[in-house]
Amino acid sequence: MLDLIFSPDFFFAVLRITAPILFATLGAVVGEKAGVSNIGLEGTMMISALFGSLVSYWTGSWAAGLLVAVLIGILTSLLMGFFAFILKTDIILTGIAVNMIGSGGTLFLVKVITNITEGTALASTTSLITTANQIPSWNIPIIKDIPILGEILSGHCILTYIAFLMVFLTWVLLYKTPLGLNIRSVGENPNAASSVGVSVLKIKYIAIAFSGAMAGFGGAFMSMYYAMGWSLDMVAGRGFIALAAQAMGAGEPVGSMISALIFGTAQALSIKVSSKGIDSNLVTPIPYIVTIIGLVIFAVIVRRRVKRQHSAAALKESAK
Amino acid sequence: MNKKRKMIFSLVRGLTAILIALLVAALLIFVSANGDGIAEKLSQTGGAMKKLLLGPLLKNKGGISVKNISDVFAAMIPIIFTGLGTCVMFSANQFNLGTEGGVMLGAFVAALVAIYCPLPPVVLPVVAILLGAIAVGITMLIPAVLKARLGVSEMVNSLMLNYVIMYFIKYLLNSHLADKSKGQIMTYEIQPHAALPQLINNGSKLSWGFVVALIFVVLVALFMYRTRWGYAIRMIGINKDFAMYSGMKVGAIIILSQVIGGLLAGMGGGIEMLGRYNTFNWTGLPGYGWTGITVAILAGNNPLFVPLAAFFMSYLNKGCSLMSTYCGVPAQLIDILQAVIFVFFAAEQFLSGYRQKLVVKSTQEELSRIAEQEAAASKVEVK
Repeated sequence: MLDLIFSPDFFFAVLRITAPILFATLGAVVGEKAGVSNIGLEGTMMISALFGSLVSYWTGSWAAGLLVAVLIGILTSLLMGFFAFILKTDIILTGIAVNMIGSGGTLFLVKVITNITEGTALASTTSLITTANQIPSWNIPIIKDIPILGEILSGHCILTYIAFLMVFLTWVLLYKTPLGLNIRSVGENPNAASSVGVSVLKIKYIAIAFSGAMAGFGGAFMSMYYAMGWSLDMVAGRGFIALAAQAMGAGEPVGSMISALIFGTAQALSIKVSSKGIDSNLVTPIPYIVTIIGLVIFAVIVRRRVKRQHSAAALKESAK
Repeated sequence: MNKKRKMIFSLVRGLTAILIALLVAALLIFVSANGDGIAEKLSQTGGAMKKLLLGPLLKNKGGISVKNISDVFAAMIPIIFTGLGTCVMFSANQFNLGTEGGVMLGAFVAALVAIYCPLPPVVLPVVAILLGAIAVGITMLIPAVLKARLGVSEMVNSLMLNYVIMYFIKYLLNSHLADKSKGQIMTYEIQPHAALPQLINNGSKLSWGFVVALIFVVLVALFMYRTRWGYAIRMIGINKDFAMYSGMKVGAIIILSQVIGGLLAGMGGGIEMLGRYNTFNWTGLPGYGWTGITVAILAGNNPLFVPLAAFFMSYLNKGCSLMSTYCGVPAQLIDILQAVIFVFFAAEQFLSGYRQKLVVKSTQEELSRIAEQEAAASKVEVK
């Protein structure tokens, strides 16, 4: 049983499953750093997934589909930003609204759009995405010939590689660029940032647009590679899991990547186990349960650390 | 600003939000219409909008349709409960989104009790619904206690719980409780005396649960505005730190608010189950939780406005489903409408210019009145 699970193709599956969660997680990380809690990631992914798959079908080009998916993600987020920053709708409520559109609203859109363009109303786009307009995979030249390692690392969808590359780029963005400094300062103390001439509004827009772009990548991955077509509620809580991964990773890119990997592993495990004939309803919720447990463990660790720091500081005080 | 002006402002604001949503709807229907020319499309849009707005009132051939109206009232029952639950939780600033799973769990537990427990009439449905509510109340302890003790986001946890509840119920249903003689996955039928009596017997499923829902509106309103706990819940929502320094047990109140939210959602699920179905056959989350959140926002977290908001959402929903039957517009338009109304209602700065004008007007009136009084007073002195 164990060696069946821990085989190269299992680890391959972990990376593949983690990729969309990781995109959304990075979106959540940058948003949270600027003090913007984007809980609309789930809905944004759904909307991007829909338009990405439609455009890739119409143009026959996955690149066009991917581009549109990312643009739609950015647009949706900017709209969220407009409501949250200008009209002062609570950002969480704005996110809930986007998720509403992402669930039933996308089904409305797919029916209407396919009815106009194809003449028949479809309830999903699974018939439209074929291997011809799927996002291609990439065999890494030298690594693919290494035994085991090649099997795990090579042959992934190019977006999977981009997802892990984005972890590094996000870290660079946040910690090595002036923009990143501004994002972090706006998140930590908007008044202080604004007093030294940083446009808080602009930075918040940039941060939410970034998280929208990431959700766009994640959505495109879901509908143009992972599931080969859009169907109702296909994102299945990955946007929410990303929020948990962000929290568990303490809001840092690398830490959040590790928690995203944990969720990816949990999901890959549940798929493996259900292929062994166990009721899938019993194993599908594993990632969600792991999320709750993970959040609790993280919270306990943080509490302990804070307590220890406090007592250490108190000891120092008394030593003086 | 005086009370009257404030009311006028909220009225204008609400109507504007609804008008914007309807404009968006009209635009979407226009785009999706099948007609060739613009004139034909316009007439189709007009027809569909008429169905959306007036359909729930009228029969197909004209005249008032009692069936449609009772359908609207029947659909209000579960969303009044989820709306009330959300009101309580959002009042304490607890963004618990678990009413969705709560409704499903409440319905499931109520159904199980109604199928298997050998209890006499009247007692059985009451026990079933109460047990359903209690089950959800206990479940809500998970996000509530984690929030109060460890500061874990109740939002993420409650969202995750929705999925866990759904799959757990589906598992039990599939592998242990299903009536294998049926083609679809469903439980055995509930005992006939567990079903809630209907108010009108026309197939709308408008049960006595509606009356219970209205009673709970009053109870929750009394709780929120006339008891210490209700006050504490609202105070925590307004200013948590102040509440803490003034000696309130913030953690306990946070837990209390979410448990009450869970109890209400579970009760809504149980009543929906026993009022509408004779077997449990839900295969996914019902969506009442999200509508309940919209209802709470429309009601401004005031329990007394919940029935009104629930009526509005239920009416729109019925209109959308009629429109999809007769005009070929997909019924999911309701989700987009709901989202648009939702964001504008929740937007603090929406129409802030207009509010500013009203404030200025009020102040000017006040000033001129004071000036008049002073002038009158000085006249008296001169005499």
